[in-house]
Amino acid sequence: MSPETTIDERFDEIVSALRAEMPPTPAALHARVVAATATPSAPPRFTARRILRFAVPAVAGLSVAVALVVGLDTAIRPPSQENTALARDSAPAPETLVTPASGESGAAQDRAARTLAPTQSKSQSAPAAPAPSGSRAQDYNATIVLLVDGTEELSGTTQRALRTTRRLGGYLVSVNYTTPEPGAGTAAVRVRIPVSRVQAAIVEFSELGRILSQNTQISDLQQPLDEVTRRIRRLERNTARARGAERERLLAQIASLRRERTEINRRAAFATVSLDLTTHAPVEPAPAQGRLGRALDDAVGILLAELVIAAYVLIVASPFLVLLVAAFVGSRAYRHHADQRLLEQA
Amino acid sequence: MKPVTRSLADAAEKHLDDVYRYVLYLTRDPQAAEDLAAETFERAVRLWHRFDPARGSERTWLCQIARTAALDHLRAEERRRRRENEYAGRAVEEPERLVEPLSPWLREALGTLSAAEREVIALRVILDLDPTSAGRVLGITPTACTTRLSRALEKLERNARSARVA
Repeated sequence: MSPETTIDERFDEIVSALRAEMPPTPAALHARVVAATATPSAPPRFTARRILRFAVPAVAGLSVAVALVVGLDTAIRPPSQENTALARDSAPAPETLVTPASGESGAAQDRAARTLAPTQSKSQSAPAAPAPSGSRAQDYNATIVLLVDGTEELSGTTQRALRTTRRLGGYLVSVNYTTPEPGAGTAAVRVRIPVSRVQAAIVEFSELGRILSQNTQISDLQQPLDEVTRRIRRLERNTARARGAERERLLAQIASLRRERTEINRRAAFATVSLDLTTHAPVEPAPAQGRLGRALDDAVGILLAELVIAAYVLIVASPFLVLLVAAFVGSRAYRHHADQRLLEQA
Repeated sequence: MKPVTRSLADAAEKHLDDVYRYVLYLTRDPQAAEDLAAETFERAVRLWHRFDPARGSERTWLCQIARTAALDHLRAEERRRRRENEYAGRAVEEPERLVEPLSPWLREALGTLSAAEREVIALRVILDLDPTSAGRVLGITPTACTTRLSRALEKLERNARSARVA
């Protein structure tokens, strides 16, 4: 008898009595058991442990294989034209919109629209904005967005823009200057420049910072101006023949049309330039990836998607799993209690 | 390190006596004990591939299977008795069973114990299992096993003294 099986010596007598009367095993039972255990049964081919042992690596391997196949497919496939175009364009192209007047010749329209203003860095030569027409009244609007370095430069550049405007004979319409946080801010400056000097103004403004975008819009005003002039002349001829109230009415109409013509001429005399200054650098588009980079990207994306799906399934299934485990543990505890009661009553 | 029998046939040869004595003490019915012992080894044949020596000895494993078979038998007997009593409308007298091959005073004393008390005596005294192994068979802690054994032996000793005097 080993030390760890030692029973309290108080019970030595009864223990000895019990051990002295070991009931013998019946011979028939011995024969039955020998017969039953003579031929070992084949272990089941599919057990839960065996299935798990192979299933888990198989599923993991399949996930990786799918990701590799997708990645290889991306590597083999030539890149799409859209991706190539995106890779080539590193900065937005400036826009130039020309609104021709009705009746203007096609050649004049072409001249107005031909010259574009490319986006250039500060160190390069100033861009050429479309030149205003020297023979026709036009409504000239230009917008330039410049990147400046910090709020100090923002302030200095705004001042320089205003000085340039005054020097070129223009005037300030409005300025909106904001610095919401240290080192960052914006300034929206709107000025009117004599149309004959607008190109010079645009050149000088462009040198104040790094051009992020440029937009020029030209609307022809000559046609409405000519129309107003014709109406004035017609009314003046009619006024010469009219008398009394009719004459007064015609004179009033002429005065109104003259005011309208003055307004058109004023619009045509000055170009509107909107200068937007900002300290926020634009987000640079990512450089184009090679085949291997795209393949790796796609493969990793697939793996991440599989992980996300697995996590989602686990999160959704976890309450049910918890309930299942709780039910299993509970049923075992109940079974144990019920067995104990059965043994105590038997 | 525990010695491992190479096959179930060897384990059966080695532990048949222990399994039979255990189920005999549990059921107090020699015929049922014989059937349950045979059933234990039939189940063991099917489950032999799941036996893990690291988790316990063969004897402990076989006793666990025997206990499960005995409990199934006791539950079936309980259901049978309930059906018969319901049908008869009264408690039906149990048929005479074969008596265990034990001295009359010991048989009488054991008869005063419950199956739970008899099985802990069988495992710890007759089979000489340590408290840990016995606890594993019974599904309780070694300390609880020792406490249960002390109570069972106290009761047995008291009843055995009375039976001897009688």
